[in-house]
Amino acid sequence: STSRMLSTEKDESTASKDSTTEVASKSQEGTAETSKQKLLDIIGNMKVEVSYRKKLQQLKTRETKKRATDEVEGLDSEGGMLQKTTEDSQRGKPLNPELVEAASAVASSLPFNKKQTESELLAQLRRHEETTDKQKKGGIVKIRNIISEMAVKRQSPAQRGVKISSRISLELDEDGKTIKSERFSPQSFDSRRYFCCVPFQSLKVGKRLNIFTKASTETENALKTVSSPTIWDLEFAKQIAAITAQPPRNGFEEMIQWTKEGILWEFPIDNEAGMEDDAEFHEHIFLEKHLRGFPEKGPVRHFMELVICGLSKNPYLSIKQKIEHIEWFQKYFEEKKEFLQEI
Amino acid sequence: MAASALGWALRAARQVLPSPCTRQARSYYVDWRMLRDVKRRKLAYEYADQRLRINAIRKNTILPKELQEVADKEIADLPRDSCPVRIRNRCVLTSRPRGVKRRWRLSRIVFRHFADHAQMSGIQRAMW
Repeated sequence: STSRMLSTEKDESTASKDSTTEVASKSQEGTAETSKQKLLDIIGNMKVEVSYRKKLQQLKTRETKKRATDEVEGLDSEGGMLQKTTEDSQRGKPLNPELVEAASAVASSLPFNKKQTESELLAQLRRHEETTDKQKKGGIVKIRNIISEMAVKRQSPAQRGVKISSRISLELDEDGKTIKSERFSPQSFDSRRYFCCVPFQSLKVGKRLNIFTKASTETENALKTVSSPTIWDLEFAKQIAAITAQPPRNGFEEMIQWTKEGILWEFPIDNEAGMEDDAEFHEHIFLEKHLRGFPEKGPVRHFMELVICGLSKNPYLSIKQKIEHIEWFQKYFEEKKEFLQEI
Repeated sequence: MAASALGWALRAARQVLPSPCTRQARSYYVDWRMLRDVKRRKLAYEYADQRLRINAIRKNTILPKELQEVADKEIADLPRDSCPVRIRNRCVLTSRPRGVKRRWRLSRIVFRHFADHAQMSGIQRAMW
């Protein structure tokens, strides 16, 4: 959600000064002035219709500063926060109180719904905290975090009941007779939930886990340089085609096969199927320009004009064929020129 | 490289062998007369345009008569089998020159044989 931040610079500067004073007081390292400068610069650059990305960048800079301060305190707090992730449900770990105060200050400065903006900011801060956490700890802990997060998602018993019932109904349809109640033992239920839940939610929901790397495009380019396929390749391909082309199971598949072969027309019937005349109507009718090679007067011209009249009324020939027709006559009359002049 | 070549070959092969359907395989024409008829049809197709144009010059009241006589000679010089008049609509299965229905290209005997065995779509014994 892109927040529409109409910033009045004065308000922002006062709010930023409040937050920067808090930051400066709490930071243990001597980076107070530089952080204040940075914040001021950032907020000073804010204009009407600040994009979502810029806001994220701001929050990131703020958080990196918080990280720098927290590092000094040690890893215990982070370990404590990790435990909290396993305990809490859906909300995630609690944010740094300084960030919360900063967010509330910013929200109060803005003219829009304060609580809404504050909650949005806090949500984003939470997400960024988690990402920075992951990046810090490295590979092994990532998996732990992922699994802990997965365990955290608890559905309401009503939802669970709905999903179970849907699954039961599916399995009943397959069997028709047995109910298969043994399957729903509590041990197997959780493990299957992760596999079965996938069709209920879209696959693209949630954060990227960065487990897989993108396939390199080099192999694709190497494949493109092909020499003509050998006889063995062709034979193999024919074999595969013969095996995979199973006889049609029903009338629909038979009709599909016939349509592919060309035996059956495609419905709804296209009157111009197979006919590719891209030319406009005027090219068919106004053929006088092709008569330039002929003499202006005389029986030959008269004859050719009749020919053109007939061609313009012909819907069956393409323009190429009509031009060829006229050119043939041109050639013929040129060959007979001396003969014509004797007459 | 091999995979893409295989893919191309697969697609080509699929078009060549659409389905393993067993039909009657006729590798020869029924008799020599049918073969000659086939040759005449091919030649007639080749020379069709030329014959049409020369005939357009001949069957004319505008062009001078001398020109039309020259065109007469030209059309007579074309191969004899190129004229469509020499084509005979023979039965496709038995090469019978007479008693052939145009719609099915079959002689009356073959037509009756298939119709009785219910192998002609939409054909029924008439009774009224």
